[in-house]
Amino acid sequence: MSDPILSLHRLRQVFDGFTAVDDLSMAIPQGEIFGFLGHNGAGKTTTVQMLTTLARPTSGTATVAGHDICADPLAVRRAIGYVPENVRLYDTLTATENLLFFARLSGVADPRARVREVLDLLDCADLADRRVGGFSKGMRQRIGLAQAILHRPAVLFLDEPTSGLDPMGIKMLRDLILRLNAEFGMTIFMNTHLISEIAKTCTSIAVLSHGRLVFHDRIEAVTARYGDDTALEVLYLSLTPVGRLSEVA
Amino acid sequence: MAQARAPAWAIASQSARFVLRERTVALLAVLFVALVLISAWLGWQATATVDRIYLDAAAFLQKTGQPVPANPVLDISPLSLMRNMSVYVALIGALSVIVIGNRLVGLDRKAGVLPLIGIRPFSRATYAAGKIAALAGLILILALISGGVAAVTFLFLPAVVPTAAQWAQLAGFIGISALYMAIFGLVALGAGAAARSETVGLLVPVTLWLTLTFIFPQLTANLNPTAAINPISALAPLPDTPFFHAASQILGPLSLADAYRFASAGLLDYLPPGMGSPAFLPPIADLMLATLFAAGFAWHALTRQSMAQGDYDA
Repeated sequence: MSDPILSLHRLRQVFDGFTAVDDLSMAIPQGEIFGFLGHNGAGKTTTVQMLTTLARPTSGTATVAGHDICADPLAVRRAIGYVPENVRLYDTLTATENLLFFARLSGVADPRARVREVLDLLDCADLADRRVGGFSKGMRQRIGLAQAILHRPAVLFLDEPTSGLDPMGIKMLRDLILRLNAEFGMTIFMNTHLISEIAKTCTSIAVLSHGRLVFHDRIEAVTARYGDDTALEVLYLSLTPVGRLSEVA
Repeated sequence: MAQARAPAWAIASQSARFVLRERTVALLAVLFVALVLISAWLGWQATATVDRIYLDAAAFLQKTGQPVPANPVLDISPLSLMRNMSVYVALIGALSVIVIGNRLVGLDRKAGVLPLIGIRPFSRATYAAGKIAALAGLILILALISGGVAAVTFLFLPAVVPTAAQWAQLAGFIGISALYMAIFGLVALGAGAAARSETVGLLVPVTLWLTLTFIFPQLTANLNPTAAINPISALAPLPDTPFFHAASQILGPLSLADAYRFASAGLLDYLPPGMGSPAFLPPIADLMLATLFAAGFAWHALTRQSMAQGDYDA
């Protein structure tokens, strides 16, 4: 197994007395497509916000691509890309104008060429000169993914990437994730509710419940243990407190 | 290969371009420039009329062999023609800059792109510097337009030829006008970044502007709101009462509209002889200090703004 590209050590986040993430420790090897499962409010987004340096942990620490999120946030930011749950962009600008701006902020040397390259890679060159304000959820998600990979990050964080997408959009996104992982060796950290997507995309999973890590293993180990294609669902429901089942999306 | 541009420059240029595209900002800026033009035209028209009458009278007096008195146009400093400009800077200029400052931050917050900016490899200080640079650039444009209009007005008045020192005074006036507007722009930037709602972000600087323009001058100089917008009556002496002497001393340094009025009057040569600001701080030092405080507030709010939040709360 290769060295961990993500290493979390007793990560904790408390907001106004509420513990959103509690004592979270795990390691994710380079090149993984990691699925982070959990009910609404489990602490998945908070974890991603800490790992992407958007929020500072209350205690504990983590390293991303070998850089400490608290001690060297700029180095972490150079190594990551991030697609939030609801991709928001400047609606009055075109896709290219939005991407050029983010490319310049990322310090990309030849932003125009890189933007063209990424739009071609994601098969959305036809969206280049259209204003983002008129985009569907699926188009927005693709431009959101484009802004995240402009600087070829080592780790890509996706927060509920399939949320609100139709089946075609979900398949397109899944293919893109697999391609980025295979062609560029990007490690993918994906928050999701969709167990079926985890099975089709991820190489390892973890389950978070009420801020605490309750499971972490490789997909093949899970399917080997349960032995059929509903293995993940069975596992996930077994890890979710019975009284909280209604919260599961 | 194209060179990578510094993130602060990218933030500043993108923000300034965005704000200039906004209709409200464009409308206020156009209104400000129009008022500056009107102010210059009024000064030019009044002086040109007096000059024309004088020239006719002088020709008549010369023809009839009577002594010709000095041209009254030359008795006053040509800079005082621009005195109305100080009122427009204090009113519409400050208001325009409040809207600009608010929008510079609001455009990122409303678009919900803060998380996408927050994960880029630069510090929060770079983001703050970019926003402050955008504000400074836009204020500079407004100030340069005002200065240009004033300069062109003088060039169209053959009877009035400002000296080198007077050109320098005019440049000084444009400089302190930019400084005065910057105070409100910086407060608007800071409030826009710190406030949870868009409304509060705009209300804070507007309330400050109202307080400084109309309420403080009443306490420190007994100026009612209508007098406060007249550049001449606003320079009336203080009532000789213990309250106004104490208030002008204590609150004087906070009464920035008064400080700006006295600084403008001094630079544009219409300050009545023997009159000065009653506050213990010289007006220009007061304005510089206030700009520093406002810049500190904006810097603090922008560098501590949560980049995880996508939008305003309400």
